[in-house]
Amino acid sequence: MRILGIESSCDETAAAVVEDGEKILSSVVASQMSTHGKYGGVVPELASREHLRAIVPVVREALEQAGARMNDLAAIAATAGPGLVGSLLVGLTYAKSLSFASGLPLIAVNHIEGHIHAVILEARRAGTPVEFPALALVVSGGHTHLFEVSGDGRYRLLGRTRDDAAGEAFDKVAKLLGFGYPGGPIVDRLARYGNGTAVRFTFAKMKGNALDFSFSGLKTAVLRWVQARDLEAEIAARRALVRTQAHPTDEEWLAATPQDTLDLLASFQQAVITELLTRATASANRMEARSVMISGGVACNSGLRAAAELARLPCPVYFPSPGLSTDNAAMIAAAAFPKLRRREFAALDIAAQANLTLA
Amino acid sequence: MPTYRTASEEETIALGERLARDLPAKQLVLLIGQLGAGKTTLAKGIVMGLGAAQPDEVSSPTFTLIHEYGSSRRVYHVDLYRLDEPREAQTLGLEDLFEREAVVLMEWGERFPQLLPAERTEIRIRTMTGEEREIQVTRIAQSNT
Repeated sequence: MRILGIESSCDETAAAVVEDGEKILSSVVASQMSTHGKYGGVVPELASREHLRAIVPVVREALEQAGARMNDLAAIAATAGPGLVGSLLVGLTYAKSLSFASGLPLIAVNHIEGHIHAVILEARRAGTPVEFPALALVVSGGHTHLFEVSGDGRYRLLGRTRDDAAGEAFDKVAKLLGFGYPGGPIVDRLARYGNGTAVRFTFAKMKGNALDFSFSGLKTAVLRWVQARDLEAEIAARRALVRTQAHPTDEEWLAATPQDTLDLLASFQQAVITELLTRATASANRMEARSVMISGGVACNSGLRAAAELARLPCPVYFPSPGLSTDNAAMIAAAAFPKLRRREFAALDIAAQANLTLA
Repeated sequence: MPTYRTASEEETIALGERLARDLPAKQLVLLIGQLGAGKTTLAKGIVMGLGAAQPDEVSSPTFTLIHEYGSSRRVYHVDLYRLDEPREAQTLGLEDLFEREAVVLMEWGERFPQLLPAERTEIRIRTMTGEEREIQVTRIAQSNT
């Protein structure tokens, strides 16, 4: 059974065709398609107007690549939230009109549920299915959530960020140090040249839910570290590098980044990873998880992947491949598959919901 | 021009809650301050003061650009940090938000003055020593511009 998935909750316009919740026949992401080369897919493709321009060619491309026609499909799935209403509306409205015109059922998917299903899809495909109950850590520029996931598609929120998302902290630290925006992936690349224990960051003890995250204080601590030193010249040098060079190499970055700053990057990254894995481990223990899934854009972070391998997690840890970690529509089509089997269809008057919650 | 001092995040949230009481039902509130000043922290208090959500539910909208809280009384929390061009901000449909009967809290909005309504509240947050913050509230009426 083939499902066409459509995703437009934030920057990317994406469409994909997935068979039986595990076989990706096509997965097209517009910001990569339209800006590849010029910006390398990092320029924000914003809001409704950009999505409007992309939605029809992206869906057509996904169907063509899959060799699928509308009447080969079993359902049409789209992200209904959370996200920007203007952006969500483009994908959801297009999915509704396709559903209306074709008579195929419409399935509404929560974006965060999609990130979780990116992992479930790949694990099934690899023949090592995720065992439930599972702990899901969804960690990206916009989200940092811990969910208990049961086999029958129920979710329970265990913890989340109270201020900045982990990916946001990476990007803001990168920007304040002159690495451009979004620079999270550059922090990851350069962190391995630094000493992760050189700068000690202390986390304030949090009141309330011990499984909640807070990254705002860490960001401010980095800012204070920078302000306490005379880094103007090196920051200016890196900003100049970003202006003249679209994608500086490690060597070019290293030439513009003294060891102290590399140590800061490594220590910052280490602090974020420790926060993520400490709470993930505590959650997995508390709910007696049989698997841990880590997904979302920050799941691409090589330091996090390496640390998760070494962490004393009580069960197997699953990461999606990088292409399925960031926003895509294959995860939306995959998340729709169990709903199709349960015949959990959406009415054509369903509204996009900016603050849609999963649990 | 009222100026306040707070000594902790809790006090900043409590101040936001009090400031919320004096806000018109329809108002743009610019939250102005450098990285780490406490703009999102103050937003937590204002959102709570407006009865739209609990402080723990209010997180940074930097990546997602706009967060919405509340049902009967709607509050929008906007963050333009990651945008560089007015053109990018224009695609968000901000003018549509400003027309609604709602409070719009906006971080990094002062970078795009041409997109903002003349009538608004500006709250400037300055980092003093350690956790201490100075918070200054300015109401700008239509006639002043």
